[in-house]
Amino acid sequence: MAQVTAPQKQGLGPGFWPVTIGLTILNVIISWYIIVTPIFDTFLHLPEAAAPAGDVDALFTYLSVVGNAIFVYVAGYIIYFSIAWRRRASDPPDAIGIQIHDNPRLELWWTIIPSILIISVGIFSVKIWMNLQNQIGDVLTMESIGHQFKYEFRYPRLKQSVYNEAHIPVGTPVTMQVTSGDVIHSFWVPAVRLKADMVPGLVQTIRFTPERIGKYPIVCTEFCGTQHANMVGVLYIDSQQDFGRWLSAQFKAQGQGAGPVNLSQGQATAGQQLFGQKCSACHSVGPFSQKIVGPGLGYLADDPDHPNLVTGEKPTGEGISHVLINGYQGPDNSQGKSGPSLGVMPNRQANGLSNGDIANLTAYLLSLSQKK
Amino acid sequence: MAVSAINASHEAVRARYESVDSVYRETRDLRLLGFVLFLISDVVIFSAFIFAYLYLRNSVPNWPPINKDGVQLPRFDVAFAAINSCVLFGSGATMHYAMESWKKLNRSAFNLWMIATIFLGLCFLGGQAYEYHSVAVTWQGSTMGASFFTLTGLHGFHVFVGVIYLIVLFLQANRGVYTGSKYFGLTAGTLYWHFVDVIWVALFYLFYLM
Amino acid sequence: MAVAAAHAGAILGDHDHIHPEPQGFIRKYVFSLDAKVIGVQYMVTAFLFFIIAGLLAEIVRTQLLSPNGGFVSNDTYNGVYSIHGSAMVWMVIIPMMTGGFGNFVMPLQIGARDVAFPWLNLISFWLFPVSALILFSSFFVGAPDAGWTEYPPISVQGPPGTSLWALAIFLIGISSTMTGLNFMVTIMKMRAPGMTFTRMPLFVWASLATALLNMVATAALSAATAALFIERTFDVPFFDPARGGSPLLWQHMFWFYSHPAVYIMILPAFGIVSEILPTFARKPIFGYKMIAFSSIAIALLGFMVWAHHMFTSGLAPWLQLPFMLLTMVIAVPTGIKIFSWLATLWGGKIEFTPAMLFSIGFLLVFTFGGLTGIFLSAVPTDLHEHGTYFVVGHIHYVLFGGSVFGLYAGLYYWWPKITGRLMNAKLGVWHFWTTFLSFNATFLPMHWLGLAGMPRRVAQYRPEFQLWNDVETIASYVLALSTLLFIYNAIESLLRGPKSPPNPWNARTLEWQISSPPPYYNFKTIPAVLKNPYDFGEPLPYIGLDRELDGQPPGNGHGEPAPAHA
Repeated sequence: MAQVTAPQKQGLGPGFWPVTIGLTILNVIISWYIIVTPIFDTFLHLPEAAAPAGDVDALFTYLSVVGNAIFVYVAGYIIYFSIAWRRRASDPPDAIGIQIHDNPRLELWWTIIPSILIISVGIFSVKIWMNLQNQIGDVLTMESIGHQFKYEFRYPRLKQSVYNEAHIPVGTPVTMQVTSGDVIHSFWVPAVRLKADMVPGLVQTIRFTPERIGKYPIVCTEFCGTQHANMVGVLYIDSQQDFGRWLSAQFKAQGQGAGPVNLSQGQATAGQQLFGQKCSACHSVGPFSQKIVGPGLGYLADDPDHPNLVTGEKPTGEGISHVLINGYQGPDNSQGKSGPSLGVMPNRQANGLSNGDIANLTAYLLSLSQKK
Repeated sequence: MAVSAINASHEAVRARYESVDSVYRETRDLRLLGFVLFLISDVVIFSAFIFAYLYLRNSVPNWPPINKDGVQLPRFDVAFAAINSCVLFGSGATMHYAMESWKKLNRSAFNLWMIATIFLGLCFLGGQAYEYHSVAVTWQGSTMGASFFTLTGLHGFHVFVGVIYLIVLFLQANRGVYTGSKYFGLTAGTLYWHFVDVIWVALFYLFYLM
Repeated sequence: MAVAAAHAGAILGDHDHIHPEPQGFIRKYVFSLDAKVIGVQYMVTAFLFFIIAGLLAEIVRTQLLSPNGGFVSNDTYNGVYSIHGSAMVWMVIIPMMTGGFGNFVMPLQIGARDVAFPWLNLISFWLFPVSALILFSSFFVGAPDAGWTEYPPISVQGPPGTSLWALAIFLIGISSTMTGLNFMVTIMKMRAPGMTFTRMPLFVWASLATALLNMVATAALSAATAALFIERTFDVPFFDPARGGSPLLWQHMFWFYSHPAVYIMILPAFGIVSEILPTFARKPIFGYKMIAFSSIAIALLGFMVWAHHMFTSGLAPWLQLPFMLLTMVIAVPTGIKIFSWLATLWGGKIEFTPAMLFSIGFLLVFTFGGLTGIFLSAVPTDLHEHGTYFVVGHIHYVLFGGSVFGLYAGLYYWWPKITGRLMNAKLGVWHFWTTFLSFNATFLPMHWLGLAGMPRRVAQYRPEFQLWNDVETIASYVLALSTLLFIYNAIESLLRGPKSPPNPWNARTLEWQISSPPPYYNFKTIPAVLKNPYDFGEPLPYIGLDRELDGQPPGNGHGEPAPAHA
């Protein structure tokens, strides 16, 4: 066996630092591009139709930056080393490489740095996960039940279900409870970035707040039988008015038309309890300026600075009941911008208010003004 | 440096190949490890089904569960199962004495204790058959029945195979296949039989006491 | 030196037995107890199933040329991809890695004559084609249609072939468990004198970690498939919610095995690449100890992360956190390996044999697959990606780009040792490049298709996805055709390839120090091992190999053949 001396150390190799600098520059450019470009919207034609899609996309962007950085370096070095350290035709047949077994300092650093990166990924992921857990809902609570091969939707108070098409009003936090009537299905709205399997015997809850009016597919991603590929529903995010109209049409079609509200039957005490359940998340009973989401309602009929309601009507019982029935939708910023449209108050269907509820709430609100 | 390394490796080799029985001891070493690993993988199968039982038990508010007619299923009767358990544990003791007799080269005591073990094993199986006949749950009717019959059935299958194995060992021993110093088959049989006992301890607790 | 070697030979030869060679075609090649023959049987059978499962994939891709499908019926399509996945996992990759390479290479690398339990090895092998036959025959009675994961309740209601699926997987599980046991005992007890754990080749380390997983995890799958079979056949309620059962129970039992299974499929590839890179860079593997120990770490961690397949399934939300974080932790030992392999390339004298090309390609492609895994490990992004083509892209990057590239690398590397012939290197290089490029074209677009909204397991899809589906299909045809380059090369080599010298690559592990192919007894005398084998430029660290290539028959020093083992 001929003893061959290892070649003299060549430093880190020809062109190591230029290549490293080049890869770093490439990384910076690509990372900048990833950060400033809304990837889902631009490349995948998937807008952020509802909260928390924005949060999920932010995490996705971070993962892309980290992943890209690692990949560019690894792939870059693989290609570079393969070229720089290839056997040349001029090498003797028994030429060997640099006989190095390890380098504890290098190994320490390439353990520490990826660990720090992974920890940062973990921390950011946990933060976004917590955002998902704390996502608000409950203003409109509805159910979806998966079947072979359609989606069934149940709205509060609507006796019969609707199939394959769900309408929800923009700006209204929604709680969707999903389960299945037969085998496992899945409820996925790509535009919302949320998915929950529909499992028989189990109910899962999704919470999201629609932000962008439009029409979005609901896709089944859990094999459920022969027509699994064709199990696609549609989620309509409507303006408050359109949603109200649609849901009223459903009620009417089922012979459940609401009929006129009888304001004289309103009980202020019952209204006070209802206010606490349904309204206090967004409205206080203080003056107009004491805003939570919407203005304070303590001086509705007695506020010289705001003589009319937001609809322009006078703050009588009738005017107040109209706002409760129809909701209110301000200027629509949903096209092309993220974030809720301004001034969205859910209508009666979204809030699940019966005629009696409306009468009671109206009586209560009027009583607040009268006390002052 | 090279010479001392060579000498060191010669010493190691010499130490390993020391006695005449080294080849047997090496083979026995392999087989013992192999058999223990087999028992470990068997424990994993039982563990998987035990996990299934505990998971199903925890996923309903009541245990025993309430059946379709709204009636809660009865708990298993501890008394008979306790007696049957003693039969099985007794067979573990007789197996132990059988091994001790063999090591002391007492052929007739070995035979006696082996027959006792086989007999007690068969009694246990008979007891299980009676138990299956008398419990109120069915295999199909509830998750209680599903887990009970599957787990105890798997165990009973292991006991059955074990009884056959013990009979074979008994016959082999009497044909002179094993000697005073070479009796790996008997060691394996003892290990297996004790394993079956240990599994039963777990199952008895999980179904009758818990 | 020669005196010491003869001395060593005398000591070792006194207590070391060579059986007489088995006679007759049946005992030599059909029911052989020789791990090398069994290894070849595994490799040939697994490769045949690779072709079959690959053709099934082409049926899938052809269906997906059009958004409306139409190539086959939906039921046929669903059965085709289910068998494709099941066969690739259980009848191709695992048998080829463990049964194939594990049997042929590992005993040679530890200086043993065979595995610990040759009869068990034989039974393990023959269970394999029997299980595969049962699996493929399910097409005749209605193939299982719920994917390789067969979630109840749909799988309980599924076609009759689902029961055959459960039976086939149960049987191959028994085979795997026995092989795992066999290899664990072999590696722990039958290493040549002087081969401490830190002197073992890295493929042996990989085989040890894989054997541990095989032995322990597969039992959980056996329990799951048995329970599914029982529920289907006897109506016993494990998974039926109407009688208190739980569909989630299946998922826990199935994934408790199937996550370690992916490590069973990749760890041997890690080992293969760890052998090939030093050999063709002519320098030691960088960070031997870290690579060895991280294999064990990955195997153990692999048991703790199964529920990351269940983030959308209905787990209690707090459970998502530990599984998410533990999954992310696995990235660290995996990253360490990748950097160590990179550092092995650095400073080398790299020769681009087909084996080396596939190993380098593996590094590129597996890294990418591992990184998409991080996107799946984070719950918020997984909620969007689960059940979509993003996952399909990820799994094929790690399983094809990882395991299959590793298999090809190993086949090109050990081909001369197994067959005694050389393959055509130029054809091998063509095979690599066509495979590498068409592979990426086939599977890369799946990532953005999934993100854009295309679910998996679909016989039709929304029209906006057609462009990339068509790209993938055309690329997959090229990928399929590129396999022919390998098959042609293999057949030509067997028929009239140049004969190989014992050590064509000048490699340093023990299997290369004997003839190609090795004699049935492997080593005339079991060598002693002084160091780990990766120091190129130094003399080989073995004693007692002097007689191996002298062309003489074996003899054990007493002048007569020794009796067979007790």
